[in-house]
Amino acid sequence: MATPPDDRLDQLLELVVELASGDTGARMTPSPAADEIDAVIVGVNMLAEELQALNGDLEARVTERTVQLEQAHLQLERLALYDPLTGLANRTLLGDRISLAMAHADRGAAPPAVLLLDLDGFKAVNDSFGHPVGDLLLVEIGRRLREMVRETDTVARLGGDEFALVVVDAGHEQVLAMAERIRVALQAPVQAGEQSCWVSASIGVCFAVRGQDAATLLRDADTAMYAAKNGARGSVQVYEPRMHATALSRVLLAEDLRVAIADDQLLVHYQPIVDLTTGRTTGVEALVRWEHPERGLLAPAEFVGVAEDTGLVTALDRWVLRTAVAQLAAWRSGFLRGHEFAMHVNVSPIELRTPRFAEGVLDCLAEHGVPPGDLVLEMTESHLMGEDAGTLSALEQLRTAGIAVAIDDFGTGYSSVGYLRRMFLDVVKIDRSLITGLDTDPQQHRVAAAILAIVDAFGLEAVAEGVETAEQAERLRALGCRYGQGYLWGLPLPAEGMTALLVVSAAMNPP
Amino acid sequence: MSEAVNGPPEPDRLMEVRLDPLGIVRLTWSPGLQITDTLARRAMELVDLTNTDRERPLLVDMTGTAALTRGARMTFTRRCSASRIALLGRSPVDRVIANFALGVSSTPVPTRFFTSELAAVAWLRHGDPA
Repeated sequence: MATPPDDRLDQLLELVVELASGDTGARMTPSPAADEIDAVIVGVNMLAEELQALNGDLEARVTERTVQLEQAHLQLERLALYDPLTGLANRTLLGDRISLAMAHADRGAAPPAVLLLDLDGFKAVNDSFGHPVGDLLLVEIGRRLREMVRETDTVARLGGDEFALVVVDAGHEQVLAMAERIRVALQAPVQAGEQSCWVSASIGVCFAVRGQDAATLLRDADTAMYAAKNGARGSVQVYEPRMHATALSRVLLAEDLRVAIADDQLLVHYQPIVDLTTGRTTGVEALVRWEHPERGLLAPAEFVGVAEDTGLVTALDRWVLRTAVAQLAAWRSGFLRGHEFAMHVNVSPIELRTPRFAEGVLDCLAEHGVPPGDLVLEMTESHLMGEDAGTLSALEQLRTAGIAVAIDDFGTGYSSVGYLRRMFLDVVKIDRSLITGLDTDPQQHRVAAAILAIVDAFGLEAVAEGVETAEQAERLRALGCRYGQGYLWGLPLPAEGMTALLVVSAAMNPP
Repeated sequence: MSEAVNGPPEPDRLMEVRLDPLGIVRLTWSPGLQITDTLARRAMELVDLTNTDRERPLLVDMTGTAALTRGARMTFTRRCSASRIALLGRSPVDRVIANFALGVSSTPVPTRFFTSELAAVAWLRHGDPA
């Protein structure tokens, strides 16, 4: 019987050609001979299998890397264009969206509106409950904002507690209605973790005009927002060109104030605080005035806000404290020796939080030889909201040294009674809005009586502000209010005028 | 004395694992077999079962094996209870397959290919001559 022709080498050659042409799945079955040719066949099969597997691995790795690259790209885009905390657009993306909407407007669409929001009271939340709660609050605010806009609008967080919205294809009425809805929605308490927080938003609205760039639009919305913030908190303001002029004048005013502090353009006026039972002047409140070279005498309301916004308030407060303490030392060394008398000085919370504030106050007193018991530091209720660890430690240090702390404008803030329960107060100054009409309006009388009872219940002293009539003074005295301050006893006076008054008062009421 | 460990049928019919009187574990594959990942894993289990808690040299008789898949070769790179491994074959095909197992993947213990059982047993018992 003839042996069949051995064509394994031909088949092997075909296999190699198939493999070389890219068919890595090609294989050849070896013969049962298991000789050298079969060994080569098996070797080629195994090499082909190896090659196929390596190719597969490589392809899988390329696919995996491509997915990773796409994810990294997306992540990078998110980092570059979105706020990591809230997931909202960031300033860059907001600018892009505004530019896009402006480009549409150039082609005939309605120009967009930009809403800029700043939360009122956010700092107090951060200071009181800590940053994690503040962050939860921002996330919740972001969520609420997103719910209130359309898909086509953009909500962005610009940083801190500042948010912005770009509203497209909407009329002025629609935009204002949206702003109002947002304002109302943000007033509802926010549950941030275990804390319930109340904030409100000041909203600036700017309607774009064709040709305007994103930066100007944002600046104008910001100006309107500041106007809202400076008015009633939690309000909406639409940008008007005169606001820009106001903002500009504030910048100029800040520059002037910087010079004024250095050049002694500031003055301190003093307003008497009177014991309602004895009629004696038992103290004065130091009130800063600015003798502006062009605008004349300016009251604090006209420049303290600017000072607080620009950080000049620290220098301002320190100047007032030094001047008032030096004045008190002069009075104490003469006709006020041995008299019950205290100097009330207003302090900004910003200053209260600066390191070594308490030491600075005590050094100032020591330098002028004034005992700490002669000084009362006044701070407004809303300012005390942010009772962070630094503030509380400064207050404790001051009170331990003997300096009294007064809450100013009591009755105008948020949770007034809560503050009275804390242990860092000595004096409560009741706001003039609660005193006005006390002698004619029974309702006002009942409110004043209730507040005085509460102040008394916490063992604190009350000073009624804005007392204008003898009748009001008498009613307050009858309600147990110990001290009063107001036009009834005199306007704030320059040092010379107040000195003359105090000389008479001291002579009439020896210690 | 020699004891054989036989698992349930399929795939255990395709291999035999036993301990010989010299203390060498012998794994013998059925001729003409394509050794896959599954078979390789089962073989390692049986070797481990035979060795219980100690390590012993392993003689793998792979004479006449038709093929050894890549998955099976990867399985053999994992450490088992063999202290050293001698691969025993006869034909040039056995040699190629064995050398793929040795060369392409790194083996966890000393492993060599032999065509003589005597030489393989000697190497397993005494190692390389000094």
